[in-house]
Amino acid sequence: MQIILPDRSTRQLDCGPLPIEEILHRFGINPVSIIVTRNGRLVPETACAEEGDEIRIIRVAHGG
Amino acid sequence: MPAPDRRDILCSSTPCSEPAVIWLRDSGQYLCSTHCIQHVENLFARTVEGQRMIAPGDRIAVAFSGGKDSTALLLLLHAALPTWPDVTLLAITVDEGIAGYRDETIHAAVDLTTRIGVEHHIVSFASLFGGDLDALLKGRESRSCTVCGILRRRALTVAARQAGAAKIAVGHNLDDEAQSVLMNLLRGDFPHLVQDAASGEPECFIPRIKPLAGLSEREIVTYLLLTGNYRELPECPYTGYALRSEVRVMLAGLEYRHPGTMKNLISSRDTIRKNTTRVSGQGGVQRCRECGEVCSGEICQVCRILSRPE
Repeated sequence: MQIILPDRSTRQLDCGPLPIEEILHRFGINPVSIIVTRNGRLVPETACAEEGDEIRIIRVAHGG
Repeated sequence: MPAPDRRDILCSSTPCSEPAVIWLRDSGQYLCSTHCIQHVENLFARTVEGQRMIAPGDRIAVAFSGGKDSTALLLLLHAALPTWPDVTLLAITVDEGIAGYRDETIHAAVDLTTRIGVEHHIVSFASLFGGDLDALLKGRESRSCTVCGILRRRALTVAARQAGAAKIAVGHNLDDEAQSVLMNLLRGDFPHLVQDAASGEPECFIPRIKPLAGLSEREIVTYLLLTGNYRELPECPYTGYALRSEVRVMLAGLEYRHPGTMKNLISSRDTIRKNTTRVSGQGGVQRCRECGEVCSGEICQVCRILSRPE
């Protein structure tokens, strides 16, 4: 699956189905500070992601 | 509309079988798009009504940077206008003069006020203080947020007064409020911990209201995305210098492991306020001998910033 990080860089993750929260932990991201889309739709971080998905992580905590 | 996904988690509201877009960690609720928007609007209305923030006939100046919080604030206030008799809104944008940052947010601010038809005023540090923030901060970048905050409050007060506003609405959210409580404690700043800006003291006699104080940053950004009003904007280049950045990360970690931490901090502050004799009024109202604005000493903080390097 493809992960789009808050800085817009992308990563490929080859793994079986897993909760998005687990993916966030792998990238050291606190779920409280972000929201997530799966294939363009907003989903809770407890939703699952699997091969072929595009997961986009949007940071909500923003300075300024 | 995208096709349903077999893996969707459903909204906890009954009766509803729509896919959830957000999980509210502290209550355990899952909300779909419609119920999330409703939840945000209800929380906003409850905060405004619970603290009697708006009265008939009020002219409210919205501190409108064009960023996510003030955008949500302006949209929610504007949508609720028909429910308040004779209340009018205007938006004030302060241009601090931060290269590579403020121009884009001002552009967003002008776009929105034009689209919804709200009176819009832009005031700049350069016109009020004789220089932009980048110039004023030379050599004291570590105090950027403090300096900017003091000058921005003054700019808002001056612009709101000139526009005849009765109140200033600011977009501080639940996360901001919890961070401020902890920052005041860490600095040992008891007066600011107990000070209630809604009273209009001590720095300005235009009360400040915070209608988003019950909403988290996640709820606000989700609301903006769901209503088609989210816009990616650059981050202030001075953010990294701020104590707030460290407190934000620390509190987010606590909120994740112990949901409800931020609300508990705010609730503790409110209890302290209720049980504390006001300290800000001691010594009566004074005027700055340089500029004549209300202040707590002989010279106000703005004049101190403008007159000597720190």
